[in-house]
Amino acid sequence: MNPFWSMSTSSARKRPEADEKTLTGELRTSPPRTSTKKQLPSIPKNTVPVTKPASPAPSSQSTNGTHASYGPFYLEYSLLAELKNYLICSTLVVKQKLPGVYVQPSYRSALMWFGVIFIRHGLYQDGVFKFTVYIPDNYPDGDCPRLVFDLPVFHPLVDPLSGELDVKRAFAKWRRNHNHIWQVLMYARRVFYKIDTTSPLNPEAAVLYEKDIQLFKSKVVDSVKLCSSHLFDQPKIEDPYAIIFSPWNPAIHDEAREKMLTQKKKSEDQHCKSMHVSGLSWVKPGSVQPFSKEEKMMPT
Amino acid sequence: MMSSGTRSRKNQQALSLQGVDPETCMIVFKTHWAQVVKILEKHDPLKNTQAKYGAIPPDEASTVQNYVEHMLFLLIEEQGKDASMGPILEFVVTENIMEKLFLWSLRREFTDETKIEQLKMYEMLVTQSHQPLLHHKPILKPLMMLLSSCSGTATPDVEVELVVLLNQLCSIIAKDPSILELFFHTSEDQGAANFLIFSLLIPFIHREGTVGQQARDALLFIMALSAENNVVANHIVENTYFCPVLATGLSGLYSSLPTKLEEKGEEWHCLLEDDWLLSPALVQFMNSLEFCNAVIQVAHPLIRNQLVNYIYNGFLVPVMAPALHKVTVEEVMTTTAYLDLFLRSVSEPALLKIFLHFILLHQHENIHILDTLTSRINTPFRLCVVSLALFRTLIGLHCEDVMLQLVLRYLIPCNHMMLSQRWAVRERDCYSVSAAKLLALTPVCCSTGITLTLENQAKDYILWTKATHSAGSCTSPSESTCIVEYGRAVDISYLQYLWEAQATILQCMKDCRVWSAPYDGEAPDPDTFIQTLAEENTKNLEQPMFRLQQRSSSNCSSSQMTPMGEKMQLELEWDDSYDTGISPGSNVSSPQAYDDLGSGEAQPPAEPPKHIQEMKKNAVMLIKGSYVEESDFQDDVMIYRLCAQKDAQDNDSSKEETLNTTRESNKTVQSLPSDNGPLTKPQSDGDLEEHNKKNSSLTHDVTKEKPNQETAEVHPRPNLELKLSSQEVDHNSDIRLLSPDSEDFIIQYDKIIKELNSNTTGLEEEQKLVSFEPLSPAEEEEDFENFSADTPSAESIPSPFGAKEDASSKHYSRSQNVPFTGPFISVVLSKLENMLENSLHVNLLLIGIITQLASYPQPLLRSFLLNTNMVFQPSVRSLYQVLASVKNKIERFASSERDFPGLLMQAQQYLLFRVDMSDMAVESLTKGNIQHNSGMGKGRNLSEASQAVFQPFLGHKAKKATALPGIPMHVRNAILAAALFPEFLKELAALAQEHSILCYKILGEFEDC
Repeated sequence: MNPFWSMSTSSARKRPEADEKTLTGELRTSPPRTSTKKQLPSIPKNTVPVTKPASPAPSSQSTNGTHASYGPFYLEYSLLAELKNYLICSTLVVKQKLPGVYVQPSYRSALMWFGVIFIRHGLYQDGVFKFTVYIPDNYPDGDCPRLVFDLPVFHPLVDPLSGELDVKRAFAKWRRNHNHIWQVLMYARRVFYKIDTTSPLNPEAAVLYEKDIQLFKSKVVDSVKLCSSHLFDQPKIEDPYAIIFSPWNPAIHDEAREKMLTQKKKSEDQHCKSMHVSGLSWVKPGSVQPFSKEEKMMPT
Repeated sequence: MMSSGTRSRKNQQALSLQGVDPETCMIVFKTHWAQVVKILEKHDPLKNTQAKYGAIPPDEASTVQNYVEHMLFLLIEEQGKDASMGPILEFVVTENIMEKLFLWSLRREFTDETKIEQLKMYEMLVTQSHQPLLHHKPILKPLMMLLSSCSGTATPDVEVELVVLLNQLCSIIAKDPSILELFFHTSEDQGAANFLIFSLLIPFIHREGTVGQQARDALLFIMALSAENNVVANHIVENTYFCPVLATGLSGLYSSLPTKLEEKGEEWHCLLEDDWLLSPALVQFMNSLEFCNAVIQVAHPLIRNQLVNYIYNGFLVPVMAPALHKVTVEEVMTTTAYLDLFLRSVSEPALLKIFLHFILLHQHENIHILDTLTSRINTPFRLCVVSLALFRTLIGLHCEDVMLQLVLRYLIPCNHMMLSQRWAVRERDCYSVSAAKLLALTPVCCSTGITLTLENQAKDYILWTKATHSAGSCTSPSESTCIVEYGRAVDISYLQYLWEAQATILQCMKDCRVWSAPYDGEAPDPDTFIQTLAEENTKNLEQPMFRLQQRSSSNCSSSQMTPMGEKMQLELEWDDSYDTGISPGSNVSSPQAYDDLGSGEAQPPAEPPKHIQEMKKNAVMLIKGSYVEESDFQDDVMIYRLCAQKDAQDNDSSKEETLNTTRESNKTVQSLPSDNGPLTKPQSDGDLEEHNKKNSSLTHDVTKEKPNQETAEVHPRPNLELKLSSQEVDHNSDIRLLSPDSEDFIIQYDKIIKELNSNTTGLEEEQKLVSFEPLSPAEEEEDFENFSADTPSAESIPSPFGAKEDASSKHYSRSQNVPFTGPFISVVLSKLENMLENSLHVNLLLIGIITQLASYPQPLLRSFLLNTNMVFQPSVRSLYQVLASVKNKIERFASSERDFPGLLMQAQQYLLFRVDMSDMAVESLTKGNIQHNSGMGKGRNLSEASQAVFQPFLGHKAKKATALPGIPMHVRNAILAAALFPEFLKELAALAQEHSILCYKILGEFEDC
């Protein structure tokens, strides 16, 4: 059960993980949404915002139909597929390759993803870093996505001014079919555990790491503290789906937490129940013969 | 007498005995009884020798009656204290009053009237009494005696009362199962271990009207009881005729159903509730079927199994099977419609199972019902539409067995695709490449005309925005700009398709969770599939493999015995798909293979079974006009002619089609060489009529040389083939060289797409490499070698399944090397290829069926239908190829039709009108929450029309308008098809896109569906 689901889609505010002890606040999504479904925001409803045109569109009646471009649909679905990939990676399906990394596309554009990363051990332990992923328009044929931390984390590969992570070094050329956004996320997580100092964006950090690890460590601790102290700040980018943290409020969060913890069991029950309701098969597993199951029922 | 008493009692009841001292009641009761006894004894032969049978003065009888009424009233009103009997009841029991009264009524003339009185009396007692009465033998016993005296020779009046009482008794038993034991024991007293109240109900099972309904309700009480009571279940199964009566009753009722349905109009394709409610016989049948369904739902497994067996062996096999093979097209069509109705009405899995078992595995005269039904899709008559409707129902069940038998079994071996492509079966189309390709098939000529979205949609716009991030300033919020030119309308109706695609795929995925295998090209294992099948074959007699064996062997024998030309000449081309089984040469739906085969094409189809021959004869007569044509069939005949002609032209045009496509592409791209060498022998223009003319003239030429003109005209194809065969050999060699051009073709398409949508959908070189790389030339050649080595000598290859000495695995794999996607797929695709000639409702059904198939999440099916990058064996016709061919036909048609845009507009308007009509009907029922809440989603689109109109029970609403009056039939069909086609493409593209993001199983994914 991926906490991302609950996080992104429930109007209630929830802790992303029960064991996130360092965290006094928790994630929330800004606009309360009516949907309580645990499901990927579906295209027509959520991801694609519908707005009235500010200016009258040119002869809408005739430009519609087959002249209309489907390009945006392809892009949108490609990104959805990427998101799906990320979800696969972050759930137990593939042994949780991405523990502690959460992303969610913005409301305004599928090309911008908000994310947060929790570092659980190592030099950056207890770090909670918010970031934004920018995906190029011509995805998947363009450059690799960019990943920018809200606050410039003290790290050899993070630009001390812009907070941008050096993603390019890992993805010199972005190749469709081979490269996926979850790989960028995985890379972003890994840099905090395995520190690389070659051709750094932050030479100071690189040098300190090599020469004076103690000072480096203390700078990192400061950086982590700084990030944590800004945790409850308003998001950098105003967006209904931006990730916002707020202090623990038992009135709201206790119930939500309870719900999260019990949800799994419930869904399993439902699973069992619905198995009997719909779907038909009388094929014995391993057989390719219809009605091979339950021989005693066979009418002959 | 009694009845009047009942009425007066009701008035008395209003007075109520509340507050009256129970003692007083008791005293009154006793005095009444004393009076009654006096009269009874006076006439008791044992006590009074002068008493004579029947000689009871009326006044005495009515006196007794009056007293009894009062006594019963007192008994009913008596309140028991705690668990003990009230004094009156105790008195009744000890004095055995009820039995004495029953004997008294026997002593009088035991007329129907008396019986009715008694039945009513008991009914009142058991339903109104405040204390449980049936626990007491002195009350139960006379009741049972009364009931048994009513069995057999009852008149309708008595029956009514009897059933009412039985119904009441059953409902009491249902509430208090402990009484059941008593009923059994009391029955034993009668000398037979029968469950009297149950047995008495059986004759009423199939009765019409209220009596039947009450009896069935009563029986259902018992059925529900049996689920927890083995004794009852055993008794019913072993000692009663319940199940046989129920099942054979279906047969009886079926035989009285009308064999012809009254004309329902053009659009009619299946029996809706409105239809069958008008036919009393059908209503009666449906009631009984519904009852069977209910019994199976609630009854003990023993009963369920017995009933299901009886229905299979007592109704489906002896009645339905022959009915499906009747002589006239009308009758067969009616039966098919009935079968479809039954399938839609049955909800219990166990019952559905035998219906499906019957359809999928039962052989009638050695032919599987399923094959027969499939073959009928290609008939020119209404039968085709009805058969399509039946298949739509079948596919909509999301049943693994159905899909396995219909489609998947042919895809499991994976030899419909190039060996090197197997890895791609499970591949996801991350970048919507397939969707782009499908949408790129939209004919240019169809983009004119009105928008297919409704007015209220025109106001909604979608703005795609992108996030820009100005490097260096991490703090500035990104601006939003449009990727799409600002304010440019995107086809909003497409969102609707996406939305629907998601819903249908999710539903289907949910239903398929119970399936035994993922069908992803690995499980079931393609390489061991044949062996598995063969092993299972030996275990089970009703095996599909037998079918194949039969088929292929009959293919061989007939081809050896009969020279092809003569044979075919005598027969109408009845059915493209019937024998496309294993024999590669007869695979009509894959013209490439056909061409490639050279001499292989001379292989005639297997001898069709008798019933099909019969129907063929009918068809011949119809076409020749020697049949009394029903006016409605005229249209069908026309279509049929077109089909026949088209078949003839298919041979030479199919090659050209590929080329034409290429030519079209050339036009668009303007950079490719337009000279295709000796093969470019395209018709000067793609005009359909031109085509036909040319075709018929060709036919004409040929027929001059042939003695049997008439038949030849009807079916020119074999002749053509004979004449052309030498020519074709040349062609074939060329074609074979070019045959991998399916890839050329695809590459070209890719290019076009890239150029058209260069921004977002262009295919990267790499992508191409990925898809085509695996086709190393060596492999390719090998494939072809196999192919050409196998096919021409198809006749000489011993039937791989028939010859036991050759049943080595090598042979198995060899036989499976002949790529074939199954008769159903090929017949549906070939029908789809004729889209322009099909009538609107045939097309709507076809589209419905194909989109249903494309909603299945199984990678094998998904990759076959929707993955446009897949490279299939040359002989396999893919959906994409068929669609490309339809696109060309539409463009040819558009260029030949002077007022194409105007006509298209009319067609679109008509289709929208249909949607509106059905909307009105559907609005309140099905739509609503999803769409109206979703802000944008009010759009209706054309394919929704197909869904809405096909909603059971709503079919009539949309048929009030005539389609495009004043336009010749063939133009009308073509233009409607042209209007439908782009919508169909959108639907498929939407499915492809949704599949790409839905194909992962994530826990909890389905929770909200």
